[in-house]
Amino acid sequence: MRLTQSRYFKAFSEPLIQNNPISMQMLGICSALAVTVQLKTAIVMGLSLTFVLAFSNLTISSMRHVIPRNIRMIVELSVIASLVIIADQVLRAFFYDISKQLSVFVGLIITNCIVMGRAETFALGNPPGLSFLDGLGNGAGYGSVLISVALIREVLGAGKFLGIGIIPESLYRAGYENMGFMQLAPAAFIIIGLLVWLQKSLVKN
Amino acid sequence: MSDNFRSILFAMGTALICSLLLTAASSGLKPYQQENIDVDRKKNILKAIGLVEDSRSYTFDDIKSMYAANITCMQVDSQGQAMQKGDTTGGGLPVYLYTQNGTVAAYVLPINSRGLWGRIHGYLALESDGSTVSGFTVYQHSETPGLGGEIEKNWFQKNFKGKRILDQSGSFVSVGIAKPSVTVSMTAVEKANYVDGISGATLTGRFLSAGLKEILSEYEPVSIRFRSKRMLTVPQDRQTCEDEQ
Repeated sequence: MRLTQSRYFKAFSEPLIQNNPISMQMLGICSALAVTVQLKTAIVMGLSLTFVLAFSNLTISSMRHVIPRNIRMIVELSVIASLVIIADQVLRAFFYDISKQLSVFVGLIITNCIVMGRAETFALGNPPGLSFLDGLGNGAGYGSVLISVALIREVLGAGKFLGIGIIPESLYRAGYENMGFMQLAPAAFIIIGLLVWLQKSLVKN
Repeated sequence: MSDNFRSILFAMGTALICSLLLTAASSGLKPYQQENIDVDRKKNILKAIGLVEDSRSYTFDDIKSMYAANITCMQVDSQGQAMQKGDTTGGGLPVYLYTQNGTVAAYVLPINSRGLWGRIHGYLALESDGSTVSGFTVYQHSETPGLGGEIEKNWFQKNFKGKRILDQSGSFVSVGIAKPSVTVSMTAVEKANYVDGISGATLTGRFLSAGLKEILSEYEPVSIRFRSKRMLTVPQDRQTCEDEQ
């Protein structure tokens, strides 16, 4: 069997494009609007969510035969919440500036529907290895949309790439101005909308 | 074993494991986080007096050495008098002094004000004339991101520079946050005492104005000493602040 047809590969690759959590399932839009002003915060947010998603899927999947049905959501939530707090604490210890910029949005990963959604629909019914890969894939799918949106917003809105100015000074003198609108949340809405359009028309063909 | 009993047991087990993990993460990372917070506070003090710019990045050592070279902290009593070293009466207010060539160029007051959702912590720096604001920073708050959370942004904070805490006749009025903006709602005379407000954050502005007024009037005896040029050098044998010891 070829690698690209194995179910492990599919668990990872499907959520990247065909079944992307943001652009196909429309989940996790709120944080995608909030943290995409700068590329740096978008990358860190993408990594944090990938970490939480992969390990919550792994943990819940390994416990799937012993979790009592009637309290399964509570158990899922406590696993997710613990992982989010750990991610938040690590960011505070080693990436303090970024964690201040992300403010409440790392904590709000707990309420991100992608995490709970994957736990309920995938991890409860599949073995740990597969679930872990599914978590990684969904995290990467989420992160890639975040990074694309942040790239457009940072370059057009602030004239910067990862905090470094890339628009030459001469262009500013010639009358070029940064697009202030890109710094505001509605811009992210429009960009995500355009990305969804682009993707749906590409995937269909 | 009944189903309910098993569920309760499972829930307790999960809770126990999760809390152990969280305790380990929290206590293991505490020293790193504490250092970040300390450096961030020092950075904000330096930013309030204009030594640190937002556009540049600084290493921990840059901040620490700049802080050690420029800032001294002392405690003052309720009369604005510098407290003597070893004074144990307590109740001292910390003031950070920015010295340039042996004379005090500015002094920084710690701000701890009520906000909408929690306390707002920051610093307000005043020039040595005792009446002109040289900068305002916020290093910790829990206001709504995008609304009240804008108090941590540069555009809001930079408006404080040059504002005065005295009115034209020289009596204390504090510095406040206008609603909606200075140009719309303030008379020419009042403009010197107000900064632009934040749309959608009326309450944050109101609480922060009240907090600034309360803190500035508490420190008014110190400011009076600065105005009458009685506090130009760092006093010897001063009572240091806790964070310096």
